[in-house]
Amino acid sequence: MASPNVSGQAYAFMAMTPVMPGEEQPLAEYLRGLRARGPSPLARLARTHLARFVIVPDFKNDPTWKQRHEEHLDLNYLIFTSNLDGDLDSYLDELCEKLAPEAKEIWGRCVGCPESAEGAALKTYLRHNQIDTGIFFAAYGEATVATVRKALREREKMIAFAIRAQGMAPAALHEAFLAEFIGAQ
Amino acid sequence: MASVQIDLGDIQGDILRAYGNDYDNTTYAFVKIECPPEQARAWFHGVVDHVTTAETWPPGEKPLTTLNVAVTAPGLRALGVSEDVVGSFSREFRAGMSSRSELLGDVGPSDPNSWEPGLGTGDAHVLLTINAKQAADHQRALGKMKEAMDAVGGLRIVYQEDTELLPGAREHFGYSDGFAQPAIEGASDDKARGGGVPLKDGKWRALAAGEFILGYPDEDTRVDPKKRLPNAPAAPLGRSGTYMVWRKLYQDIALWRRVMRDAAKLYEGGDEHLLSAKVVGRWTNGAPLVKYPDEEPRGYDPKTAEDVNDFRYDGDVDGMRCPLGAHIRRSNPRDALAAVAGPKGVIGFDGHLSFRHRMIRRGMPYGRVLPEGVTEDDGVDRGLVFVSFQGSISRQFEGVQVQWLNAGNIFGLGHDKDFLLGDPHGTGKMTIQGKPPFFLAPQEVFVRTRGGEYLFVPGMTALAALADGTAG
Amino acid sequence: MSIQTPAPAPITATGTQPRNHDGQAIAITVFSTIKLWGRVFLPVLFFVTRRIPKLTGTLRQLSFIHFARWTVIGKLPYNGPPQKKGRFRYPHMYFESNFNGGWEEYIDAFSHILTDGMTAFWGSSYGFPKPLPTAPFKRYIQDNETEADHYYCAYPEATSTMIQRSLELDKKLVALKRDARRMDPDAFAAAYRRFLTDAQNAL
Repeated sequence: MASPNVSGQAYAFMAMTPVMPGEEQPLAEYLRGLRARGPSPLARLARTHLARFVIVPDFKNDPTWKQRHEEHLDLNYLIFTSNLDGDLDSYLDELCEKLAPEAKEIWGRCVGCPESAEGAALKTYLRHNQIDTGIFFAAYGEATVATVRKALREREKMIAFAIRAQGMAPAALHEAFLAEFIGAQ
Repeated sequence: MASVQIDLGDIQGDILRAYGNDYDNTTYAFVKIECPPEQARAWFHGVVDHVTTAETWPPGEKPLTTLNVAVTAPGLRALGVSEDVVGSFSREFRAGMSSRSELLGDVGPSDPNSWEPGLGTGDAHVLLTINAKQAADHQRALGKMKEAMDAVGGLRIVYQEDTELLPGAREHFGYSDGFAQPAIEGASDDKARGGGVPLKDGKWRALAAGEFILGYPDEDTRVDPKKRLPNAPAAPLGRSGTYMVWRKLYQDIALWRRVMRDAAKLYEGGDEHLLSAKVVGRWTNGAPLVKYPDEEPRGYDPKTAEDVNDFRYDGDVDGMRCPLGAHIRRSNPRDALAAVAGPKGVIGFDGHLSFRHRMIRRGMPYGRVLPEGVTEDDGVDRGLVFVSFQGSISRQFEGVQVQWLNAGNIFGLGHDKDFLLGDPHGTGKMTIQGKPPFFLAPQEVFVRTRGGEYLFVPGMTALAALADGTAG
Repeated sequence: MSIQTPAPAPITATGTQPRNHDGQAIAITVFSTIKLWGRVFLPVLFFVTRRIPKLTGTLRQLSFIHFARWTVIGKLPYNGPPQKKGRFRYPHMYFESNFNGGWEEYIDAFSHILTDGMTAFWGSSYGFPKPLPTAPFKRYIQDNETEADHYYCAYPEATSTMIQRSLELDKKLVALKRDARRMDPDAFAAAYRRFLTDAQNAL
């Protein structure tokens, strides 16, 4: 049976890890400050389509109280989800290597995270805290990030060409197209 | 469902039903209150006594002039309305149009910093709209307005726009305009075809009054078993009122003519008339392209022709008749959103993606016409005073401006902006669908925002409460 | 003329908090508490939905979602103290979506078009009002939504629809490129016209 985490070649990863008491605020500030410090570190993981970090402080209980018992989270939890290309194992390897500087600040503030917060130890930790998806919907699950990027670039190029080429005679059109899309050979 | 009874006597005029083209002259005067609230209310009292309501006139008894009133958020405060009550108005209304400039695309030459003085600064408090049949009546009404202000003192007109209908009731680009008005339950049910919500099997239904008039069920709550009403300001202001958007839009007619002339050289043997119609979605006489794709029908009278507004896009999913990015298709897409042609016909969502984004439009052109054939600018300020009425500025006016006109994504058009109203900062082109398609480029700025305000048009009871200082 | 640098894209990601968007992409993160019958019903619903792709056809046609997921969580992996061990009293549903357009338009579309689907997915959650009218439904989503602390999209200027159209275009363009060199100018001009006609709504 196909994994519920997979749609096409896309993979839905989710890890939900408990935040150490007292570290909630520093973790939130760190994550919220990432944008101000430059491009998202997640951009280093070239197989990531979309990803997020969300700290969930508690469950919301039903205000109409049809729910018999209140239920609360014991701690704040950090959710990391990623919509990624291909196989999870090699993705996590990449993550544990390329996100090492940030991982210590992020998962290093979570209960049970190994001291070093990198490499195989971090990978084992994330795997341990992985939660399987129920339904994964991917609009373009067959396309990798690289494929999408290339297609978007080609579209921009094609639009510009189509405007420029309007009204060209066949010979000029042919020549311009070869120059633009095939390159001189 | 029982039809809703609308209390016309409590609603200001020209909202649910247009006063009509009998009124050649319209003045918009923005008044700043520089006196204490009690003094301002004394003046306001006198104004309110002359306000025209939505009640229908007996045949042949249209008044020579009409008067209507709207207020901005600073205006409510200047009239002495409490912060609590002001806080019950919508966020975007309180923030004001100029604070939403980036969202609305009012950037570059449309930036609020370069707007007409008195607009977008918090100085415009009360908008008086005066309609008159003839110039003489118009002057008399303006004189009375100023007299009343001078009698009280501490009131100043910070911006005034005098407008006049153009010959043939066209707008400056040369198009007959303003037919696609929403049909409203209890007010204009007879206009449901084309004006209402497109349903399955070719049927239509008028829109719930609450989409436009507060205090009535809207399209969301009309079938609510709990009979909840849409969000509205605190009573009595929340009943019979509506939010109003006022924008002065300059139109660069000479530039428009040059761009169309030059672009048409590569289009259908130089058919400039057709190319312009493709951009707009209508021929100059108002005939919609989706009905008349090949040539402008002769003798077409938009005032009597039913198909001027009674049409859908289900027979034109690919935009071969009316381009997917045509102005009228973007600003009122009817059943077009996300519709696809399937083997067994069109699979679409009827009006489900568009029916919460309708507006009543009551614009007026301003400035002299640029004579036909002139392609160099003559320096005259001309364009359109855009006016819309809606229950929610963010959902209706801003939704259309942001998601439909400034961005093309929802139509599958990527970053293409509306070619008529947009700027080159999207893709910078418009696709005219065809075999092969034509790419209209480069995009220029034909329309610039010269100022605007978000206002609230109170109902008659609410106006009286504002004048009495009992609005809370 | 050519497009050198992509122009600043129009703002379409409206109606949500600032950390919930990256360019055109909006993140929505929602937890809900599931009634006990949902523990049985939801896995069945998920199973069926996975096997019948047609059920997600409407989502595909609406085309404003990049990726979305629904996950039922009955217990969390244990990492040692101070974390408490054991199952939750109620199962909880995690929902995330990555989409384009305004938050409000997104929920409206869900309510009006996927009314039955919304009821199927959230009907077993406590406090869930019906999808219609939308105002209470929006309030419910807002109450249960958590703002992202950091959100990333690999192509913030593009939308899901643009990506899908670009991928279609690319396939057609590959064919034209493959054949272009061995064609004579007239044959190419004809092929190019056919290509434009065929691919115009991806441009």
